[in-house]
Amino acid sequence: MNKRLQKKYLACPYAIWMAGFIIIPLLMVVYYGLTNRSGAFTLNNVLAIASPEHFKALCLSLLLSLISTVLCLLIAYPLALILRRRNIGHGSFIVFIFILPMWMNFLLRTLAWQTLLEKNGVINGILNMLHLPNIAIINTPAAIVLGMVYNFLPFMVLPLYNVLAKIDDNILFAAKDLGADNIQTFIRIIFPLSIPGVISGITMVFIPALTTFVISNLLGGSKILLIGNVIEQEFTKGSNWNLGSGLSLVLMIFILLSMGLLAKYDKNGEGNAF
Amino acid sequence: MKTQNHSRLKRFFEDFYLVLVLIFLYAPIATMMVLSFNSSKSRTQWGGFTLDWYTSMFESASITTALYNTLLIAFLSAAIATLIGTLSALGISSMKKMPRTIMLGVNNIPILNSDIVTGISLMLAFLAFGISLGFKTILLAHITFNIPYVILSVMPKLKQTSKSTYEAALDLGASPIQAFFKVVFPDIMPGVLSGFLMAFTMSLDDFIITHFTRGAGINTLSTLIYSEVRRGIKPSMYALSTVIFVTVLALLLITNFSPDKQSKQMAALTPKQLQKKEKQERTRKVLLVTAAFFVIVSVCFSSYKYYLVSHSDELYVYNWGEYIDESVIEQFEEETSIHVVYDLFETNEEMYPVIEAGGVQYDAVCPSDYMIQKMAENGLLAEINFENIPNISYIGEEYLERSKSFDPQNLYSVPYSWGTVGILYNTKKLEEMGMEAPTKWSDLWDERYEGEILMQDSVRDAFMVALKALGYSMNTDDIGELQEAKDLLIAQKPLVQAYVVDQVRDKMIGGEAAIGVIYSGELLYIQEEVANLGLDYELAYVIPEEGTNIWLDSWVIPANAQNKENAEKWINFLCRPDIALKNFEYITYATPNTGAFELLDSETQNNQSVFPDISKLENCEVFQYLGEETDEVYNNLWKEIKAK
Amino acid sequence: MLQPLIDLKNISKSFDGQIVLDDLSLTVKENTFVTLLGPSGCGKTTTLRIIGGFESPDKGQVLFDGQDITQIPPNRRQLNTVFQKYALFPHMNIAENIAFGLKIKGKSKSYIQDKIAYALKLVNLDGYENRSVDSLSGGQQQRIAIARAIVNEPRLLLLDEPLGALDLKLRQDMQYELIRLKNELGITFIYVTHDQEEALTMSDTIVVMNQGYIQQMGTPEQIYNEPENAFVADFIGESNIVDGLMLHDELVEIFGAKFACVDKGFGTKQPVDVVIRPEDIDLVEPENGTLIGTVTHLIFKGVHYEMEVTTDNGFEWLVHSTDMFPVGKKVGIHVDPFDIQIMNKPASEDEEAVGVNE
Repeated sequence: MNKRLQKKYLACPYAIWMAGFIIIPLLMVVYYGLTNRSGAFTLNNVLAIASPEHFKALCLSLLLSLISTVLCLLIAYPLALILRRRNIGHGSFIVFIFILPMWMNFLLRTLAWQTLLEKNGVINGILNMLHLPNIAIINTPAAIVLGMVYNFLPFMVLPLYNVLAKIDDNILFAAKDLGADNIQTFIRIIFPLSIPGVISGITMVFIPALTTFVISNLLGGSKILLIGNVIEQEFTKGSNWNLGSGLSLVLMIFILLSMGLLAKYDKNGEGNAF
Repeated sequence: MKTQNHSRLKRFFEDFYLVLVLIFLYAPIATMMVLSFNSSKSRTQWGGFTLDWYTSMFESASITTALYNTLLIAFLSAAIATLIGTLSALGISSMKKMPRTIMLGVNNIPILNSDIVTGISLMLAFLAFGISLGFKTILLAHITFNIPYVILSVMPKLKQTSKSTYEAALDLGASPIQAFFKVVFPDIMPGVLSGFLMAFTMSLDDFIITHFTRGAGINTLSTLIYSEVRRGIKPSMYALSTVIFVTVLALLLITNFSPDKQSKQMAALTPKQLQKKEKQERTRKVLLVTAAFFVIVSVCFSSYKYYLVSHSDELYVYNWGEYIDESVIEQFEEETSIHVVYDLFETNEEMYPVIEAGGVQYDAVCPSDYMIQKMAENGLLAEINFENIPNISYIGEEYLERSKSFDPQNLYSVPYSWGTVGILYNTKKLEEMGMEAPTKWSDLWDERYEGEILMQDSVRDAFMVALKALGYSMNTDDIGELQEAKDLLIAQKPLVQAYVVDQVRDKMIGGEAAIGVIYSGELLYIQEEVANLGLDYELAYVIPEEGTNIWLDSWVIPANAQNKENAEKWINFLCRPDIALKNFEYITYATPNTGAFELLDSETQNNQSVFPDISKLENCEVFQYLGEETDEVYNNLWKEIKAK
Repeated sequence: MLQPLIDLKNISKSFDGQIVLDDLSLTVKENTFVTLLGPSGCGKTTTLRIIGGFESPDKGQVLFDGQDITQIPPNRRQLNTVFQKYALFPHMNIAENIAFGLKIKGKSKSYIQDKIAYALKLVNLDGYENRSVDSLSGGQQQRIAIARAIVNEPRLLLLDEPLGALDLKLRQDMQYELIRLKNELGITFIYVTHDQEEALTMSDTIVVMNQGYIQQMGTPEQIYNEPENAFVADFIGESNIVDGLMLHDELVEIFGAKFACVDKGFGTKQPVDVVIRPEDIDLVEPENGTLIGTVTHLIFKGVHYEMEVTTDNGFEWLVHSTDMFPVGKKVGIHVDPFDIQIMNKPASEDEEAVGVNE
C-alpha cells in the first residue's frame, strides 16, 4: 500500500505542469475570448462567429476538413488492411514509413506540393509528356483538401493499423468458418472491431484540418479564407486578440465534441496512434 | 488453381496500392531533394545542376543558428518530456480510476486540441505572466505538447509488464530503485525510446505552436522557412532538409532492422549464425551510440561557442526576412564587437504587437512608412540622436522629404530602402492572348485575364490598387470610397489566380501567370533570372498611370530599446556607402543612399524600373497610418473580400 | 458400417521451405471421435486447418463425403471449428456470437432464438444470452465457442486444442462434456491435442503424428498397449525403451539376459526396440530375477511407488509398483512374456522417433 502511494506521486510534476501549461493557458483563451479590449465582459467575440464572413469561413473549414477526413479514411482503411495482412507492421516498419516524411519540414513539404501542382508544375509537365489533359487545382479548395489529406493521412493510418493489427486472425477464421464471406466478415467483424481506431483517426485528422491556416495559405493562394486563417490574422495582423480568442473558443467546442466522442468509443485507449 | 490466380491478382493490386500511397507520401520529398540541386532559385524552373546550396547552407548564419535551435529544442524538449512523461506514466498507472481518467483526459488535450489554439493559449499565458517570449518559451511549449506522446507510448508497455517481475526483483533482494532500473525499465524501454523519437519528430516538425510562442532573436527552421516564404525560400533550405532527411533515413535503416525480427529468427539459428547476429547487434549499438554521441557533442560545442561569443554589448535587431546581406551583420560585429541578435518578421502587422507588448526589447527595427507613423503616434519610438549618425549625409534629400509624410520632422526614422508598386507582365503571354501591355491599374479588371492575375496578399496594397483605379487617395478613410474599393476587389476576385506576397516573383518567372502586382525591388533579380534561365519570354514592369504607392522602409529605434547607442551605431553603419551597396546588391531593392548609388554601374543607375525619378512620379503617395478604427475597417472589409 | 466422411489423399504442405506435412493420407469415418495427437510442430494443427479450409495444401486432395473440397473456401464447407483461444467476437454478446452463423445463413428470428436457447442449455450456460464475452471465465468461453459451432449443425466439428488453456479440473469436466455432446449430437469430431491423457480418455480413434507423418493410428487401447514404434511408446504414457536382440521367435535378449516374449516374425539375431511399461515390471528377490539391479530412487505417488532400478550396465529402469523397496536394496527384474512389446528399429531417419520436445 505504501509503495503504491509513493509511486503515485511520480505523476505530481506532470500534474503541476499540466496545470501551468495546459489548463491556465486555456483559461487565458477563455478570459480573452469573453472580454473586450478594456477588459469588460462581453460575448461579442464569440458571437462574432455569426457574422457572414466568419460563418462562411467556418462552414468552408468544416466542409473541407470533412471531405479530407472522409478521403483519409477511404485511403487509409485499405492501406491499414493491406499492411495488417502483409504483417509488415513488425519492426515498426509502418511507423517508419509514415513518420519519416515528418523529418522533412512540414512547410517545405506543403510548398513542394505547390511546385508539383502549379500550372507549369511537375505533375502537369508529366501529363504534357503523356499528352494527357492538365490538372488545374492549385489555388482551389481541391488543392487545400489534397494538402490536408497529405499532411494528416499518417494520423489516420496509424490508429487504424493499430486496432486492425490487434484483431486475432482466429476471429476472422471463426467468422469464415461460420459461413461469412469476405464482405460479411468485413461488415460484421472487422469494421465494428476497428471503430476505436476509426474514431481516433477521424479526430486526429478532422481537428488539425479544421484549424489549419498554413495549408490554405500555401495551396489556396490566399483566396480561400478558412477559420484558421481568420484566427491567425486576428493574432498576427489584425492584433485583435480578444476576437481571435473568442473564435478559438468556438473551435474548442468542436474539439470538446470530438474528445467526448473519442472517450466514448475508445475506453481502453487502444485506438491511440502511438 | 483458380484461387491461386485470384490471390496473385489480389496481391498485385495490393502492391500497386501500396506503391501509389508511397508515391503520394514521398513525391513532395523527392521534389524538394531535386530542387536542392537546382541552380535557379525558382521552384518551377530547372536552371541546371549545382551543389552550391549545400555549401552556402553552412555559410548562412541564419540557417545554421536556426538548425542549431531546432535540434537543441527538439533534443531538450524530447529529453525532458521523456523524463517527465515516463515518471508520470508510472505514477498514473498506479492511480485509482478517477484521478487516472482525469490525468489522461487532460493529457489528451494538447494532442486533440488544434495547434493554433494550443499555440495561442500558451502565448497568452506567457505574456500574462510576464515571461518574455524567446528560446525558453518555445522549449516550454514543445515540452508541453511532447509529454502526451511519451505517455501514450509508455503506458501500453507498462500495462504489458507484469507486476510480478517487479515483485520478484524485490523478493530477490533488490531495492525498489534497483528493481525499477533492472527489471521494469528495460521492459518499458522500447516504449520510452519510441516516445522520445516521436517527441523529437513532433518538435522538429512543429511550426504553428513555435510560430506563436517564439520571441527575440530566435528562429527554428520552421519559422525561418515561413518568414522566407515572403521573399522566396532559399534553396539552401532544401539542401538542409535533404541532408537531415537522408541522415535520419540512414540512422533509421540501421536501427530499425530490427531487434524484433531477429529474436524471432534466433531460435532457428546455428551458434555460428548467432555469433554473427550478436556481432551485428553490437555494431548496430556502436553505431547508435556514436550517432548519439555526435549529436550531443555538436550540441555542446555549439552552445559553448554560443556562450563564448555572447558579449556584454548587445544589439537586438528586428528586420524583414531576407532583407540584409548576412555578411554585413558579421562585419558589424567584427568592427564594433557588438553582438547582434537578429530576428525576422514577415509583415508590419506582425511586428507591431511584438514591439507593443514589449516581450522582447528590440533596439533597431525596420518597419515601413505608415507603420512608423503608427508607432510614433502611439509613443513606441525613441527620437534618434543624429549626431551619432554622421552617415545620414549620404541619404538623398528627396527621400528625407518623402519621409516627412509619415515622420513630419524626420525625428524617428532613417530610410533604408524604397521602391514602387507596379504591374509585372509576361510579354509573350499577353501577345498570345492578343492583349496590349497594361498601362493602368484598371487593366487588372480586364476579364480576359481570368485566372492569370496575381494580387498582393496584404490589406493596404490590395486596397491601394482598387483605390487608385477608382481615382481616390490610397490613404482615404472615407467609408463610401472604401466600400466602392471593396466591391471592386470582390468583382476582381474571380479573375485572380492567387493572393500572394513574395511568390509573385517565382510564379511570374515560372510563367504561372500573365500579370501580377509586384514590388519594384524584385525586378533586378527577376530580369537576371530570366536571362540566366534562357526563358523564351520577357517580364516587363510598368508603373500605372493612376499613380502608385511609393514605399519606404526605414530604421527606427523603439522607445524601450536597451542599447540605443548601439542601435545608432548600427544605423550609421548601414548608411555607409559600401555597406549600403552590399545590401542593395543582395536585396536588390532601391537604395536611398546616394553614396551607394554612385558606386553602381551606369546600366543599373539608368534602370528606370528600379530607380524611377522620384520627383517625376505623379499621383504617387506614401502610406500613412490611418488610426486604429480605420485600420479595423480595412481589416474587416478585407476579410469580407477573402470570404467571398 | 460407417461411411468415410473425410478423406485426405497424399497431402503435402510446407511453409517457407520447411516441410510440415509430407504425403499424408488419412480417412475419418462418420460419427467417430478422432484425435490427432503429437508434439507441437508435428503437423496436426496444419492438418486440421487444411480440413477447415484455412490453409490449402501444396499437393493432394481433401474429400468430404466423397466430394473434392480442396479449393472450396472455409465459409462454404459443411463443418465448423472450435479454435484454440476460442476466438469469440469481442464486440458481440453471447447470444449474438452464437447467432452469427445462423444470421449469415439467413435463418428466421424465431429459429435463431430457439437455437440459442437450445445450444446454451446443451453447454450448461442457460441464461447467459446477454452477457459480454469478457465477463465469462475461460471454461465458459470455451463452451460458448462450442455452442457457436454446433448451432450450425455441422456434420464435422474440428477442435484445435480447445482445452489447452484451462486448468486441470475444468479440463476434465470439459472432456466429459465433449463426450456427452458427441453422443447426443451424433456428429463427427476431429480433435487436436498434444495431451495424451486427453486423447486416451475421449477418442474412438487416435492418430499419433510426428514430423508430418502419421506414426500410428488405432483405438486408445491399441496405441497404449501395442505401440508400433519407440516414438509412440515414449509419447503415450511412460515406458522403458531398450535395445534388444531378437534371438528367435518368442525370445529376446536384453542387456545379455534372455526374456521370453510372445512376438514372432522378427527373424533371428535381429536388433529391435523393446518397450516395457513401468507397471509391467515385477521386482523380485535378486535370485528370481532375469536381470539384477539396485534401487536408486524412490517416490511415493499415492496409488503406487515410483522407483528407479539401476542395472549393472548403468541403465535406469522406471518401475511402478504397489510394493515398496528401499533405496540401496538389490532386486531382481522380472517381466511376463505378454508384457514385452517388440518393435522394429526405425526404417528411415524420417520416422526416427526423436524430438519429443514437450
